[in-house]
Amino acid sequence: MGKGGEVSGDGAKVEGENMAAWLVAVNTLKIQPFRLPPLGPHDVRVRMKAVGICGSDVHHLKTMRCAHFVVKAPMVLGHECAGVIEEVGSEVKSLVVGDRVALEPGISCGHCKYCKGGRYNLCRSMRFFGSPPVNGSLANQVVHPANLCFRLPENVSLEEGAMCEPLSVGIHACRRANVGPETNVLIMGAGPIGLVTMLAARAFGAPRIIMVDVDSYRLSVAKSLGADGFVKVSTNNQDVDEEVIQIQQAMGNDIDVSFDCAGFSKTVSTALNATRAGGKVCLVGMGCNEMTVPLTPAAAREVDVIGIFRYKDTWPLCLEFLRTGKIDVKPLITHRFGFSQEELVEAFEVSARGGDAIKVMFNL
Amino acid sequence: MGKGGEGSGDGAKVEEENMAAWLVSVNTLKIQPFRLPSLGPYDVRVRMKAVGICGSDVHYLKTLRCAHFVVKEPMVIGHECAGVIEEVGSEVKSLVVGDRVALEPGISCWRCKNCKGGRYNLCPDMKFFATPPVHGSLANQVVHPADLCFKLPENVSLEEGAMCEPLSVGIHACRRANVGSETNVLIMGAGPIGLVTMLAARAFGAPRIIIVDVDGYRLSVAKSLGADDVVKVSTNNQDVDEDVVQIQKAMGSDVDVSFDCAGFSKTMSTALNATCAGGKVCLVGMGHNEMTVPLTPAAAREVDVVGIFRYKDTWPLCIEFLRSGKIDVKPLITHRFGFSQEEVVEAFEVSARGGDAIKVMFNL
Repeated sequence: MGKGGEVSGDGAKVEGENMAAWLVAVNTLKIQPFRLPPLGPHDVRVRMKAVGICGSDVHHLKTMRCAHFVVKAPMVLGHECAGVIEEVGSEVKSLVVGDRVALEPGISCGHCKYCKGGRYNLCRSMRFFGSPPVNGSLANQVVHPANLCFRLPENVSLEEGAMCEPLSVGIHACRRANVGPETNVLIMGAGPIGLVTMLAARAFGAPRIIMVDVDSYRLSVAKSLGADGFVKVSTNNQDVDEEVIQIQQAMGNDIDVSFDCAGFSKTVSTALNATRAGGKVCLVGMGCNEMTVPLTPAAAREVDVIGIFRYKDTWPLCLEFLRTGKIDVKPLITHRFGFSQEELVEAFEVSARGGDAIKVMFNL
Repeated sequence: MGKGGEGSGDGAKVEEENMAAWLVSVNTLKIQPFRLPSLGPYDVRVRMKAVGICGSDVHYLKTLRCAHFVVKEPMVIGHECAGVIEEVGSEVKSLVVGDRVALEPGISCWRCKNCKGGRYNLCPDMKFFATPPVHGSLANQVVHPADLCFKLPENVSLEEGAMCEPLSVGIHACRRANVGSETNVLIMGAGPIGLVTMLAARAFGAPRIIIVDVDGYRLSVAKSLGADDVVKVSTNNQDVDEDVVQIQKAMGSDVDVSFDCAGFSKTMSTALNATCAGGKVCLVGMGHNEMTVPLTPAAAREVDVVGIFRYKDTWPLCIEFLRSGKIDVKPLITHRFGFSQEEVVEAFEVSARGGDAIKVMFNL
């Protein structure tokens, strides 16, 4: 199992005792003790400082599941995190006590064909913070493999370190879709994932980026973060053809790569139709299970559909982009909370509400 | 326009007058005169010897359209062809009178970004035999650019030359899907396209190929042509999950690449679900416009969907495979007809019937 244990005893807080935010039942979060495992020779113990809330965390809270992952026992939430090293295992040479690090959540097996083939994000034995049955990292401390902890440059804050996780999704998507200085990019959905994808696309050199959403406020945020243009659309399937025209007009040029960061039949259909022959449509994040889409006309123009699952080998690049300022994630952090029972509950409510809440961050 | 003219006068056959099979209205084919253009310096005049019927030819006959291509005036049908050079243009150095050649149907513009970018099959100004408004090649003679006529080796017949066209679809699909000695292949649909894709996959080194169809006879043909195993399925959408289990059992190993050569929601859904994480599903040929498919679960396993439109730069490889015997297309030619009014009508009826008719070939 993951690096973390069950609740100890009656939940009373002992001084120095490690506490965590447990999902105990639908819509029920409780800060309770979280017993850490002993430190392995290649592990480090990290005092958590910044932890962000992801849409999947909210989904687990509301439904006790996410895709085929089902929460069967109380589980610690959270996986977007950064902190300070407090103890290192006997074989750890790359990190020392006091180092500020961002954590990559998933521990892959290293033996299977996916790991050996360089696609460890697809490892079937992956143990990932906050994906049942593995406990997450919204806690005072966690124990984690040292090789998955990445030291932050001096000028990169712990909150930015925690942002590496969502940013990694955008980076991985841009790599798989081959975004570069010649690719005009369309992004469907200006939520947190659409926004980190936009930041990543710009960092990869995309010359022009158009954002699409139903929500004007989110589009204005996208514009302030550097979108070249935006198109406001409806939720009405009938409007796809008209919206494709508007989008192509806004781009003013062929659309080479589209990212669907919303996950609806309509957004995927729009992306498929708007993308030029020979281009790519990249499905990012969790969408509806079954979709009705014009797949054949797209395939008959050799528009390929690229799938994205989490990320692989992205932290070093994220940290470099943050260090140089090529990417600035700070504007995405809109709400901050401390680590107490009331604030925990309120933070998740704010995150679930959406609207003007992009990234909700805990400071521990 | 294409290389060819309208019917002349009352249709009475003049000695050496060039005749062709014209689609004059729905379900109506007439052999009528077909006036050739003058020979350009880079053109050749070819006496047609072998012309195959494609599903798209049948579709035009029955509906006067195929996807967004609409037949608005009488058009010569046919595009899978081979023949003998009878005249060469003044600048033609690569071919001489008497050469036996297979013809690549499509003339691209060589000025647009798709052509310059090496993806000329996506040229928006493509002039393709029997795609309206361009006349086809089911005729005594055609005029065609010399660079699209490929000399046949001694041991490759004219009928095999005509088969290069459908075979090219399979070759192009295997290239785009990266089929090789480590890719286990699943093929949905054992019609002509599924079969040429299977032959191509084997030639590319695929270690194991499973073919799926609803028709027992077609599966037995696939088996006789070298499929490692076959799975018979229903047309019932409810059976997808069970079909996937059977397919994976038949493969005995991960399905790395799937080709949907049938084009239904059910076949596409089956392929998406059966393919292993990180694999590819290739949509070949013309399917239904809108499909309802489990795109998200597939994308969340990084199963990519690769589109196929015709082919590019495939004739030399097809001819080499035929020369060396690595591919044998001869068993696919199940019915032969001569070039007369009655036989043209009958040939199309046989082809449209499907069943035991795989490739219907005209010998002129």
